[in-house]
Amino acid sequence: MDVLSIENLHKRFGDKEVLKGVTLKVPEHSIFGFIGKNGAGKTTTMKHILGLIKADEGKIQVADETVVYGQTKTNKYIGYLPDVPDFYSFMNAREYLNFCGEITGLDKKTIKERSDELLSAVGLDKEKHRIKGYSRGMKQRLGIAQALLGEPKLLICDEPTSALDPLGRKEILDILLSVKDRTTVLFSTHILADVERICTDIAFLDGGSIKLSGKLSDIKGKYRSDEYIIEAENDEAIKELLKEFRGLKRADNMSGKVLTFKEADISLYKVLGYISEKKLPVIKVERLEPSLENLFLEVVG
Amino acid sequence: MKSLYAFTKKEIMDQLRSNKVLVLGIIFIIFGIMNPAIAKLTPWLFEKMSDSLSESGIQVGKITVDALMSWEQFFKNIPMGLIAFVLLESSIFTKEYQSGTLVLSLTKGLKRHNVVIAKTVVLVLLWTVCFWMCFGITYVYNDFYWENSIADNLLFASFCWWFFGIWVIMIMVLSSTLAQNGSGVLLGTGGVVFGIYLISMIPKVDKYMETMLTTGYSLTTGASETSDYTVAVIVTLIVSVVFFVTGIIVFNKKRL
Repeated sequence: MDVLSIENLHKRFGDKEVLKGVTLKVPEHSIFGFIGKNGAGKTTTMKHILGLIKADEGKIQVADETVVYGQTKTNKYIGYLPDVPDFYSFMNAREYLNFCGEITGLDKKTIKERSDELLSAVGLDKEKHRIKGYSRGMKQRLGIAQALLGEPKLLICDEPTSALDPLGRKEILDILLSVKDRTTVLFSTHILADVERICTDIAFLDGGSIKLSGKLSDIKGKYRSDEYIIEAENDEAIKELLKEFRGLKRADNMSGKVLTFKEADISLYKVLGYISEKKLPVIKVERLEPSLENLFLEVVG
Repeated sequence: MKSLYAFTKKEIMDQLRSNKVLVLGIIFIIFGIMNPAIAKLTPWLFEKMSDSLSESGIQVGKITVDALMSWEQFFKNIPMGLIAFVLLESSIFTKEYQSGTLVLSLTKGLKRHNVVIAKTVVLVLLWTVCFWMCFGITYVYNDFYWENSIADNLLFASFCWWFFGIWVIMIMVLSSTLAQNGSGVLLGTGGVVFGIYLISMIPKVDKYMETMLTTGYSLTTGASETSDYTVAVIVTLIVSVVFFVTGIIVFNKKRL
């Protein structure tokens, strides 16, 4: 089942058409990476899902209910973390979660239980200070806690890791990964390493429309080439292999001890057989995985 | 209802912790004390200056001071209190637009009209407390030094001024739903009040304008009667309600 579906979403700001027919489906319990360059329209799309911007055209459904602009009922299914979250700085984390729980309409006991659980999950349970002294990473973590307070079906995070240091990024990614069973995560980013680390599904947004979307493993499979690399320990082994197989090429590599070839040109097993027969000292033989970076450049570039 | 209560509680917490209540409290207490103090000190001041004044040919007679003089000060000072109030509270909506804190609350299902209601309630509450505290302090001092009973229609005159403040708050609320920042709110509020003030300079129109409510001092001296204010009170009431409701409608459609 899809927890979120967007069909043919159009939006124009003045004479600039930001979204030109975005169509997207987010399956339940996925970690969905919403990838695009700065200014591609990721935040605009997310604000449409939250009913904060009026769409010119198109339909958005959250948990099979249609999103309307303004006061949308669908927001009860959504937890939202904006790109630079700002909270009432005169409160501390617990007071803020309490406030969030009260405006959501939760009872006192539930608020207390969930606050305890979420604050320890994001590592803010011992923090007694007011929010005004928080670092960006702490604010992001509190942001995730407040977004999860209402036990949403869909957690929307707008570039949750972009402004953080490596440690802060790891913490946020770990938290997102850990909530996968409870909810569906849709997060926008331009950091491809984060996507590879935790995402199950991805979509590339470019030029106002989705250029590519689907399961990360499917996409990688589809774009997987039949290219292999062989890395050898010394130059002699490289020379011997080059002499034996005509289709082998030296890769653009600093050490010069790496060869590449395509399955279509040379059989992998013949190469492997030759290596074992001659007992050539190789470090690795590897099938090249398409990196997201290459995919991104191919699709977007 | 519960979310309205929670949001109002948050507003009050904000007012307290950002020390706005403290600052406004101090300002209105000082005004409250200043009104009788200035009246009390006037004869002494004139006495001190009488020598130099008589040298320049001005004769200072004996000055009698009573409660009316102190109340005159009250009605002269309270506009400054209102200006301070508006300046301090002008960003009550807009600071939340800029920080994006409202978006988080609204995406949690908080109804938009509750935001407007909660903030208006807090503004009205704060103005009411400040105004009547200032009034109370002046009243107690006046009673101690002189006699309050010589001021006619004192409560009604003060009510008119308080009500004028409520009207200004409603302009603030409406401007806040339209503007994006605090200076926009100040411009809107100042603009409307100044505009009404200019219109009220036209003879015969003044009785129908909200600014009529600021002339309460003439009630205390007996220069005017309460019935002269009926129309202005009704007009102010209607306009305030219209501004408030319009504010809610505008805010419901505002892009945040």
